[in-house]
Amino acid sequence: MILSAALAVSVVFASGTFLLLQRDLVRVVVGIVLISNSAVLFIISAGLTRGAVPIYPLKGAGSVSDPLVQAMALTALVIGFGVAALLLAMVYRLYTAHRTVDTEEIADAEIREAETLERVGDPEREEVPEDEQDAGWQDRTQASERPAR
Amino acid sequence: MIAAGQTLLVLPAGIPWVLAAVLALLDGRRRWVGLLAAAGLGASFASLVWLAFVVVREGPVEVVAGGWPEGVGISLRADPLGVTFALVSVGVVLVSLLYEIILGTRWRAFPPLVLLVAAGLNGLFLTGDAFNFYVFFEISMTASFILTSYREKDYQVRAAFIFAVVNLLGSVIFLIGIASLYSVTGSLDMQTIAERTDVLEPRSVIVIGATIFAAFFLKLGLFPFHFWLPEVYVGAHAPVAAILSGALANIGSYGLLRFGGGLLPRELEIGSVAVLVLGTASIIYGALQAISRHDTSEVMAYSSIGQVGYILLAVGLGGPVGYTAAVLYSVVNSLNKGVVFLAAGLRGQLVGGAFAVGAFSIAGVPPTAGFVGKIAIFKAAIASNSLPASLALLALVFLGGALSFLYSFQVYQRRFMKPTQGDPGKASPLAARVLVVALAALVVLLGLWPEPLVYLSEEAAAVLSGGSG
Repeated sequence: MILSAALAVSVVFASGTFLLLQRDLVRVVVGIVLISNSAVLFIISAGLTRGAVPIYPLKGAGSVSDPLVQAMALTALVIGFGVAALLLAMVYRLYTAHRTVDTEEIADAEIREAETLERVGDPEREEVPEDEQDAGWQDRTQASERPAR
Repeated sequence: MIAAGQTLLVLPAGIPWVLAAVLALLDGRRRWVGLLAAAGLGASFASLVWLAFVVVREGPVEVVAGGWPEGVGISLRADPLGVTFALVSVGVVLVSLLYEIILGTRWRAFPPLVLLVAAGLNGLFLTGDAFNFYVFFEISMTASFILTSYREKDYQVRAAFIFAVVNLLGSVIFLIGIASLYSVTGSLDMQTIAERTDVLEPRSVIVIGATIFAAFFLKLGLFPFHFWLPEVYVGAHAPVAAILSGALANIGSYGLLRFGGGLLPRELEIGSVAVLVLGTASIIYGALQAISRHDTSEVMAYSSIGQVGYILLAVGLGGPVGYTAAVLYSVVNSLNKGVVFLAAGLRGQLVGGAFAVGAFSIAGVPPTAGFVGKIAIFKAAIASNSLPASLALLALVFLGGALSFLYSFQVYQRRFMKPTQGDPGKASPLAARVLVVALAALVVLLGLWPEPLVYLSEEAAAVLSGGSG
């Protein structure tokens, strides 16, 4: 039982690590999801005890299996779920800007943009806050229009 | 009084948490929403100050959630160590929030996210439960992932993505460590874990210790785990960078102290050589990289890697003196980084002076607080048992100090002393400059009158070496 649990955890963790090292951002997110699920598996296997169902009133006089690991696993699952959603949102945001989810292509696109910025000769724009007091929305709309260009 | 203390314990995390949930529904770009958030954070800070007084005078305050008996329920516990870290972290977060409000918030979610970071930080500094620590840690980390992408420039979103992926990996490793601790000791309560690991064979716990330490090293951005840090700090907006390096990095040093010094002291001792080597590597690598960089925020990002090396050195030396130095240096480092990152985002009169104070405090020049921090590290190095080791450490601290002096002065020269070509740009609002100058003044004040800080650090270290160790 312990061996099979250890095998399951390690296989899931290893496949997650493999995906994490890919250039495709969606795969990276899937890798992270797999790795966080391997931690959940690990928590559950850390509390694998045989016993009665831990629901009150207790049936039988024997030992009760550990309910705490279930609670921990549930919490970890929820956190992992929320963060995965956040990561996917970030990937989507990068996708709308560059029309790609490949890290290297995104980096190339950023270098190209930095070069155009330098040619325009406005590198200080970042540091003058008053000029763009309410530019948050404009920035965003520009960003979403960019790929259509 | 006990009841009052227990209510007080819930306030620092409770106020920002509830307020964040309310403010999430409002438009954070409005000034009054931002000010409301700042007021809530100020109230949280005030309750922390009060709590600190209670804790120092009457000893640790503890409350078990839901009225469960102790050892069953999830406990909140405030001791000098947690309170010290909470105070400085919330202080830096509060100043950063005010700074952004003065300059004009550009994102409706900014104030609630900052509040969530503060709530998570307070929660994890004031919890007595290992799993609860993980949950609060995730709350503040998740909020900071989003904060890193503040302003939604492409490179910021990419930096946030890298930050999120790397730190999630760290969190998972930490979670695995917590689960193993639970499996070995059968408890999640920190005090119980500390008692039970004491009787266990250290070799059986050393792997658990290694996973937990690795997770915190990653969070601190120590040398072999640093690869994510420069890109994130350079990409982040000035107040966000200040929050990341002034407040969130404290999670790493607090975690090392709490889990290393408090829960697994013998395992930390076994691994102390590795810890010292990593600290040394960080100091030298961070300083050399910082010297070779040009951009202000990039220099300061690498400087962060070097500065946490000192904290690690102090943790590795251990003992009351070492832990005191680690706490003291973490506090000073947070303030320094807050001043430097905030000042780097401004322009106009007074900013150069504030930046200089921060930069020289990093280098450890008197009369700044950095000097007090360096002295504490010196003391810890001298207190070491073997003479060659303490000589080597002293030489290292001198070398690190000299290198950090070099890059601090370089970056100051490049940023503030070169004649401005053409349009120097508009000066930042006076209020923002005054805010940064006030923080810089605090750094000088703590350098001139360090007794309260030293006292608090010693109390905090006494928790580790006396109480649960």
